[in-house]
This record gives sequence, C-alpha cells and structure tokens, in this order.
Amino acid sequence: MIARPTDFRGLIETLSRGGVDFIVIGGVAAAVHGSARATLDLDVVYGRSVENVARLVRALAPLQPYLRGAPPGLPFSFDAATIARGLNFTLDTSLGSLDLLGEVVGGGTYEALLPFTECLDLFGHACRVVTLEKLIGLKRAAGRPRDNDVLAELEALRDRRSES
Amino acid sequence: MDDLGAPTLPPDPVVEAYKKDVDRTLFERNLALTPSERIEQLQRFVALLYEMQRARRPRSGGDDRQAD
Repeated sequence: MIARPTDFRGLIETLSRGGVDFIVIGGVAAAVHGSARATLDLDVVYGRSVENVARLVRALAPLQPYLRGAPPGLPFSFDAATIARGLNFTLDTSLGSLDLLGEVVGGGTYEALLPFTECLDLFGHACRVVTLEKLIGLKRAAGRPRDNDVLAELEALRDRRSES
Repeated sequence: MDDLGAPTLPPDPVVEAYKKDVDRTLFERNLALTPSERIEQLQRFVALLYEMQRARRPRSGGDDRQAD
C-alpha cells in the first residue's frame, strides 16, 4: 500500500535548493535513463561530510522525515547527530518516500560513486545521476532475483544506446 | 568501458534470457522525452496507482457491498 504518492520533483528540488551533495540512484535513475518501470521512492546517495549533513538536515527538516514503517512515537529526531550515528535511512516525508544512503552496495560512498555519475538538468537544477552502466553494476551487486527483469531492461537500454 | 570509465560488465546468461521479453517500444517512447519529463511521467503513474489503491480501499464505517 502506498502511504502517499512520492513527489519526486519536490524532493529533488528540495535537495538541490538546499545545496545538498547527492546522487540519484535506483528506480528514478533508471527512469531518467529511459526505463518504463515504476518505482515508489527516491533513492539518493548523500555526502557524509559534516557540512553536507548539516545542509541535508536543514533542507529536509521542514518535510518532517520519519523512519518508514516505524511505529509512531519513537524517539527519532532527524538531526545531524542522528545522521552521523547512522548511515542509511529509509524515510517517509511530507513529499513521500525517500531513501538516504550513506553507502550503496557495489558503489560505496558519495565520493566513490561520483566518477560514475552524469550531471543532468532535472527541473532546472544540475543534478548528479548515476550512469546507466554503473546503475547496472549496482543492480547486479545487490544480487536480488527480483531485479532480473529490471536488469534486462537496463541492459537493453544500454544496447540500444551503443547501437545508435 | 563506457564513456565515463565504468567497466562494461560481462553478460549474465539469466539476464540475457530476460532480455527477450523486454518491450522496447516502451522505452523508445521515453527516450523521446527529456530527463525531467521522464520523472514527471513516472510521477503521474505513481499518483494513478495511489488513486487506484485508494478507490479499492473499503470506506470506514460504511457498507462495503456494491450496488447492483
């Protein structure tokens, strides 16, 4: 069940306007590369520097982030100390589902993934999106059988790109 | 290698088998759009999915039986 439809544009604009260093990965990156598959959340790898975590918290706090699927009333506070103590966060926000990843399997940290990104114009903002080839690598590294048909589409997109 | 230096992975026979069923007409249409338009299209689809799920949800306190 979808709690609310994720406002992908709103989340990307919020992060961009806040000056947050982030890389779009996952289903939205697949869509950017031409995939016709649906996804329900925005996955981003964020930089873990003190300055960037501060920007991340400042940008997202108005969206009241909360741990997705957690019972209400947990002592969860979306602040720099919480982000520093953790790494990956699956969140519900007032703009929908957002996964904040400090590291991703097969890609590592923001800095490690950065060379495998493209800078694209998304809604008037210059945004970093993982390359199609690296996205395929991330999906393969995750090793989930349910990703096989996603991988097939991404590789077909890559084949199409190399043909043209 | 691709144009950004990521090594091209060797083919996976399982994925190769799945590739036969990929509907290439769908992504051909997407490739005609800008990246922002592709995300907006995804967003419209997710919103539709949400509305369809809401429509199927029984109304609380009401009679869920359908009229003839």
